[in-house]
Amino acid sequence: MSRVLCIDDEPAILRLLAVVLAPDGHEAVLARTAREAMDVLARGGIDAVLLDLGLPDRDGLELIPAIRAVSVVPIIVVSARTDVSGKVAALDLGAADYVTKPFDGEELRARLRAVLRQGSAPGGPDAVIEHGPVRMIPSRHEVFVEGRAVALTPKEFAVLKALAMAGGRILTHAALLETVWGKAHRDDVEYLRVVVRALRLKIERDPAQPQIVRNEPGIGYRLQD
Amino acid sequence: MPRSSSSYVAALLGVGVVAWLTSSFLPVLGLASAALLFLLPVLFTAARGGVGPGLLAALLGASAYNFFLLPPRLTFRVHGLDNLISVAVLVAVALVTSRLATRLKARENEALEGARTSRELAELAAALSGHPAQSAEARGLALIAERYGEIRLLDDKAPAEGDPAFSSLDLAAAAWAAHNGDITGHGSDVMPAADWTFLPLAPKNRRGGAIAAIARPADGTPRPAAQIAHLRQMCLQLGQCRDRDALEAERREREMLAESDRLRRTMLAALAHDFRTPLTVISGRLEMLADSSADAREALAAALRLDRMMSDLVGAARIEAGMLAPAIESVDLVDVVASADDRLARPPGITLSRAIPADLPFVAADPVLLQHVLTNLLDNALRHARARVTLTARRDGDTVAVCVADDGPGVPEGEQARIFERFARAEGGDRSSGSGLGLAIVKGFAEAMGMTVHLGTAPGGGAAFTLTIPLREAPRA
Repeated sequence: MSRVLCIDDEPAILRLLAVVLAPDGHEAVLARTAREAMDVLARGGIDAVLLDLGLPDRDGLELIPAIRAVSVVPIIVVSARTDVSGKVAALDLGAADYVTKPFDGEELRARLRAVLRQGSAPGGPDAVIEHGPVRMIPSRHEVFVEGRAVALTPKEFAVLKALAMAGGRILTHAALLETVWGKAHRDDVEYLRVVVRALRLKIERDPAQPQIVRNEPGIGYRLQD
Repeated sequence: MPRSSSSYVAALLGVGVVAWLTSSFLPVLGLASAALLFLLPVLFTAARGGVGPGLLAALLGASAYNFFLLPPRLTFRVHGLDNLISVAVLVAVALVTSRLATRLKARENEALEGARTSRELAELAAALSGHPAQSAEARGLALIAERYGEIRLLDDKAPAEGDPAFSSLDLAAAAWAAHNGDITGHGSDVMPAADWTFLPLAPKNRRGGAIAAIARPADGTPRPAAQIAHLRQMCLQLGQCRDRDALEAERREREMLAESDRLRRTMLAALAHDFRTPLTVISGRLEMLADSSADAREALAAALRLDRMMSDLVGAARIEAGMLAPAIESVDLVDVVASADDRLARPPGITLSRAIPADLPFVAADPVLLQHVLTNLLDNALRHARARVTLTARRDGDTVAVCVADDGPGVPEGEQARIFERFARAEGGDRSSGSGLGLAIVKGFAEAMGMTVHLGTAPGGGAAFTLTIPLREAPRA
């Protein structure tokens, strides 16, 4: 039961979003301009933001850092722009995820669940990280997939942990590389490809048709729910 | 020649005057001084007129000295050795002086010529760089024509073909100059009998390009080699001016193209955006009805296809505008196939089976373009299949071959060559549901990434498209 701020200049899209969010019990708060959106955020009580990038008064990409400056609320970009560079830019600026128009309602709700869950993730050194079929206990370097223990190398473990902690959100290639290998390797996508393939051989039922670790070409990886 | 004959006359006069003076004042002067005075006409005529007049003055002087002054006077008889020596000295002075004078003269002429040619080159450079730039070439040509006679620029395409001013020998010389970058025609080593001299505007190592034709001098004298070399320099300057103009024009054209590309991209992005907004509302509403209504499900599938067509249209425009700039990286085919599969609605009753070996090497591709290629290939196969579509990948030397095959009617032999053209539709197949762009995009995107795609026939008679993708070099991690 969350309050979701939907920002889009098209009233028909706003009404659609309100209807799409209803099955999960979310309340849609609607804003048609960047200014309206910032006013709503200033009043507080918002749990997530759905942001269209094409706004009349301000570029959506600029709005992401503006929102970030006043709030830690997760942002999902919902845009008709399909270019990969725009999506990666939005994620780099601090968006939690993105959905391309025309979107699938089920997919949008799943993304929203993922970012909302993220907000309430447990902390602590012995915390168990769980996402879908994956269960990890980082302090003991233990991984279970569908209940069966899997032995992973440190790099495989680190990649899976980063993905599991993101809880179904997408992580860009650069973000994953930076987390696991360090800043100097932001562009070495090949490292990631090698480790992900090895990881899939250990955790996927059919590594040729991966169901757990999914890739979005040119953007990054996410764990499927 | 008038100049040298006047020198001979001067020699004669000079010696005459000295002979008269010395013979008149011999008692005052003495024999030795008189002999020295005969050196004067020799020096002057040798310095001014060169060897011939100098020698004449020397011999005349020696004779006059002998005849008028040496005793016995008024005879040519020679008494002693000293008199012979006087004659020899006069001759030697004449020779040495004239040689020195000639050499000096030559130096001076060279210096003058050098100064003149560099002044001309500077004038030409000034003419070529002046304003307005469009008429720079005409100004340069006028400057050369003014000093060296008629000049014409011949373009490399068909040098002076059909111009009555050029004989067939001239045309041959022009063709040689254009082809080999040599100087040909009158005054050169190649076809010197021609009436024109042909000078390429580009340096020797660059073949092709325009050449200049300069007419044989009007007075009929042959053009000296030094002048040809100078003309060559001037022609090179003209050529540089032309190159500069061409570069400038190219730059302007590139800027205009970039601007129109930018406009087109903005328009396409705006169009796709405007198109997707209503489509989102339509598909969003249909999705809610889809659970309870088969009609809504069908309409939803159509709406999603419409979105893919929009992507295809944008893609086709990008190919056409040459705006594809693939970002090639290491790609795991498994990833791209999975996400292409996600984008497609599976028609009822049709299965898609994939066979990708676990040890398939990574390929070099732009993941987004490759996804579009595979989506279109799979979409095409799913629409034509009766029951089954198979995607197989295998390593083939330095490439990975991906084959998408269906069990549909296949593409008739005669249609196969045209299948990758835009809006090409096979007669036999039901292609009404496609955009007509899908396979053109497959080919355009694949080629932009350095891949090839070809159509074959599947074992059951269906269509089998094979995409050949270059391998990524061995991973380092």
